[in-house]
Amino acid sequence: MLGLLFILFAGMAIGCAISMVVQRNPLYGAISLIGVFISLSCLYVTLAAPFIAAVQVIVYAGAIMVLVVFVIMLLNVEDEERQPLRLRALVPIAIGLAAILFAETAFIIVFVHSSPGTPTTNISDVGLTSSIGAGLFTTYLLPFEITSILLLMAVVGAMTLARRGGLLPRNVVVVPGFQVLAKEVLDPRSTPDLTPVVARSTEEAEEVLDIKGAPHVTEEE
Amino acid sequence: MIGILVAFTVVMTMVAYTVLAERRVLGFIQGRLGPNRVGPGGLLQPFADLLKFILKEDIVPDKSTRFVYFLAPVIATTAALMTIVVYPFGPEIHLPIIGTIRLVIARFDVGLLYVLGVTSVGVYGIALAGWSSNNKYSLMGGLRSSAQMISYELALGLALIGVILQSGTLDLYSIVEQQSGHLGITGWNLILVQPLGFVVYLIAAIAETNRVPFDLPEAETELVAGFHTEYSAMKFALFFLAEYVNMFTVSMLATTLFLGGWNGPFVHQLPWLGVFYFLGKVVFFLFFYIWLRGTLPRFRFDQLMGFGWKFLMPLAIINIVLTATIQWSGAFDYLGKFLKTTTGWGG
Repeated sequence: MLGLLFILFAGMAIGCAISMVVQRNPLYGAISLIGVFISLSCLYVTLAAPFIAAVQVIVYAGAIMVLVVFVIMLLNVEDEERQPLRLRALVPIAIGLAAILFAETAFIIVFVHSSPGTPTTNISDVGLTSSIGAGLFTTYLLPFEITSILLLMAVVGAMTLARRGGLLPRNVVVVPGFQVLAKEVLDPRSTPDLTPVVARSTEEAEEVLDIKGAPHVTEEE
Repeated sequence: MIGILVAFTVVMTMVAYTVLAERRVLGFIQGRLGPNRVGPGGLLQPFADLLKFILKEDIVPDKSTRFVYFLAPVIATTAALMTIVVYPFGPEIHLPIIGTIRLVIARFDVGLLYVLGVTSVGVYGIALAGWSSNNKYSLMGGLRSSAQMISYELALGLALIGVILQSGTLDLYSIVEQQSGHLGITGWNLILVQPLGFVVYLIAAIAETNRVPFDLPEAETELVAGFHTEYSAMKFALFFLAEYVNMFTVSMLATTLFLGGWNGPFVHQLPWLGVFYFLGKVVFFLFFYIWLRGTLPRFRFDQLMGFGWKFLMPLAIINIVLTATIQWSGAFDYLGKFLKTTTGWGG
């Protein structure tokens, strides 16, 4: 029964992985990747690691891939054109590496099967939530804390990058249909100046500022 | 297997009648009668609706992305239905021929995480539906919905951590068992222990299921019908079903975690009562949903985001800190007593 389930989920994972690489539409690729994650988490369940399985779905399939799909939907990416292969020289190396990987896997399978006394019925509680929690907060406390500090740095970094320069004063009310831009965006020649300019369009804003015809920040790049 | 069938039937029937109850209660709230012609008091209305959904023409937009367009309602419904298996409907029950059974389909170590994981996959149904319809309103609905569900998932998950800290397990059956107090009422997590977590969970859950006052993904005054604008016949029915099943499972989670699940007076003497207590509490939540729909106006989108990130999230984090402190100090008291009895120090 377990063997059958393994074949089913492993086959699904490999099929989805191949489909992810082959698909030309990026959204189909993303959907295939979600399929890979979900089949992997099913495999984790059969390996008696329910916590990792749940985290796999919540973090990868549920959070990261939602953002990827979100971005693809927002940018409305077209099907990609198939480019002529530029790195043709690398193809034999890739085949060689794949062969080595395949041989390695086959070797492990054969070796594990032939070696006597491999414990197969040993039930461990390594994959259970309580043992993982206990491990994280005792033996592996330092790596755990370092990881959380890294994540915090990433969050703070994203915040600073996203909000740089774009800050409007608190009293500015953004009305849909109107543009509220900082003066320096409209006229790069002026020194950094965040005075908001309220106008219906960019032309109108330029008229208000009396800088008609000045090069925009975006046009320069 | 039989358990799955029975639970599925019960949930489907209750979902069908929730739709009817919603229409009738809304009718009464708005001073009209609601559907009351099919069968006695309108009781056969769900079957008439189903027949209508089956017989309607199934329209597929010309420039839609076919495969994804078909996939989206399937994902939404499957994800909604998959969570039912972990909820404990009742305590252990003794049957004459079969013997002792537990009224829960699957009991595993990470029941709560499983619910969160499957719910987060449900977002794809709505997002992909919005994208594949090739319609601006649908896309807006889908985008709004994904943004909303990602934001409120955080507050929802953080609100649940309080309960996890309290009970020390992720297994829903054990969490319910721990909540049996005097008369099966005093042990509820809602009372004394997690009132703040309950409120945060309830609000975030309403947002997660895209219901009034957080129904921006399908705000009919601005987006026609949001992500399911282009869906008709059975595909629309599947989205409709997913929404109501989601309401149902969210109510079941609230009941299980905060209202003591099947616990209630005299459950130990008559275990069957537990099932009725459980479903009764779920029905209360469903009524609460309908009540909200009849009385509250919709949020604006920036208000929705601000409320989720700047109000609910901090509140949930405060709840975690409070719960952890209380738990820790309780353990500390115990340690003091232990020291006093063993060594004669402290106290």
